[in-house]
Amino acid sequence: MRTAQAMRLVGAPAAVAVIVTVVAGIPATTVPTAAQEASRTTPFVPPRLWDGRTPDFRGIWQVRGTAHVNLEGHPGRDGIAASESIVVDPPDGRIPYRPEALAQREENFRTRATADPSSKCYQAGVPRATYVPTPLQILQSPGNLAIVYQENHAFRVFYPDTRPHFEAADFWMGDTRYRWEGDTLVADVVALTDQLWLDQAGNYHSTDFHVVERYRMTGPDTIVYEARMDDPVVYARPWTIRVVLGRVTEPGARIIEDECLEDENGVRRHISPYDPANLLITDYSRWRQPVEQ
Amino acid sequence: MKAIHGRHVRTAALVMLGACLAAPLFAQAPDEPAAPSAELPRLPDGTPDLQGLWLKSTGSFQGLFIGSLDGTNFAAPAGGRGRGGGPAPREYPYTPEALREKEYRRQNRYLDPEARCHIPGVPRALDQPAALYPVYIIQDENYVALLHEAMHDVRIIPTDNSPHPENYWAWNGDSRGRWEGDTFVVDVSNFNGRTWLDMEGNFVDHNEHVLERFTLLDSETILYEATVTDPTVFVEPVEFRFTLKRVPADQQILEYSCLEGERSLQHYTEEDGGPRERVR
Repeated sequence: MRTAQAMRLVGAPAAVAVIVTVVAGIPATTVPTAAQEASRTTPFVPPRLWDGRTPDFRGIWQVRGTAHVNLEGHPGRDGIAASESIVVDPPDGRIPYRPEALAQREENFRTRATADPSSKCYQAGVPRATYVPTPLQILQSPGNLAIVYQENHAFRVFYPDTRPHFEAADFWMGDTRYRWEGDTLVADVVALTDQLWLDQAGNYHSTDFHVVERYRMTGPDTIVYEARMDDPVVYARPWTIRVVLGRVTEPGARIIEDECLEDENGVRRHISPYDPANLLITDYSRWRQPVEQ
Repeated sequence: MKAIHGRHVRTAALVMLGACLAAPLFAQAPDEPAAPSAELPRLPDGTPDLQGLWLKSTGSFQGLFIGSLDGTNFAAPAGGRGRGGGPAPREYPYTPEALREKEYRRQNRYLDPEARCHIPGVPRALDQPAALYPVYIIQDENYVALLHEAMHDVRIIPTDNSPHPENYWAWNGDSRGRWEGDTFVVDVSNFNGRTWLDMEGNFVDHNEHVLERFTLLDSETILYEATVTDPTVFVEPVEFRFTLKRVPADQQILEYSCLEGERSLQHYTEEDGGPRERVR
């Protein structure tokens, strides 16, 4: 069932043409088209970079769903569409926590309004940065690959897996090594800090977290993204999520600056570069010498 | 400088310092750019290939603090504590009122937005302490992207010389680039007026305008030049000029999780004017 739903979203450019600043729900009732059915049997062949070989994934992309609220699905609420679980393995859509690891998730959930690291303007980590409701941009050239995430201006440089992981530290965006399996980008990610959460519901991992990401273009404007996650400390078995990245096709669309400012209580809040409140005009008049009479 | 934010970034800094020792990264900037060379690496469209990992090799950074959690300042003579080392303070051509503003900020250095891990702005993103934080450059026919290790700061610069937007104000401003011969020229505007130039209170405001020039001198060297104008702060343009050297290919960019570590303000001491308990 979940596979079928993901496939329904594949190759639906009209539905995936998103407005960058708008969080919209996925129309879960979309009916697969004949073209989409055909795409199951005829894999899409991505365009190539100027070396004629490397698949070209460049562009601005965004996940439309609301999995960032809870990977396991959640009811709708004001402004947030309901979501089915994006966990495709195990088939029940549940994260296979070890029994002793569930208490921490429940504690996280209770305190999520203040404890979620993302609410503090921290980088989102992997794979969370992929399905937050803000766009990302894939930068590529032959031999170079990086992803820039709009949220909290995070980025990851992908290095080929011919060089070993750098594991001497824990990072908020991990350490990434990649390879191409045919036209699928496969990235191996380790060294993620245990301060990260996977969603707003408090799903979490330890420093033994290991992610294998698979990016596969299924049409000119769609990438199917899968992340297989393992963590022997927290999970009883590996598990996998799947979402669809849709190309942002608005003319002139770009990644904009996302920075937080402290409010009067010292709490950091995202502020838009389009918001005049972000503009600080220094008043030098206080330094003016008084005019002598 | 806020080199160290817990063990994660300490590791990063040590790795990058190791890179410096392994390569001759301290060459002085030449007086004149070399003539354009046919030997330069180029993209298929003929533009010089700026891609790779680069590290500032000559410096003018003010109030340098390359420190560790115990207060050691590697930039100070004999690895002492507190400030010191680095180049002599630079005098900027302030207007009389802006000079008093600068003095106020210098006496209250804890107000430095970088101390709260904010985006450094332009040219401070590149004008970091020499040989400390690298920048990764990726380019294609449509953009040149600068991925800075420091503050995980990013600029994706379109190369179509398109106009700046209206009603957009950002820490990094808005960058629009073009190629003039073999030099990548970037026009930066739309600043939000919040950035400083260094840790010594030197600053710019929302009227800042920057013209940057990236010139690939040879496969190992980029000459960076920036002209900063700001009519409400400076009475004449301010020039920045230094070189970036290529980092050996076996080095990688690491992560500078400043905000996440909440460790930057420790490098501002009582002498920086801040009642530290007010600082978050």
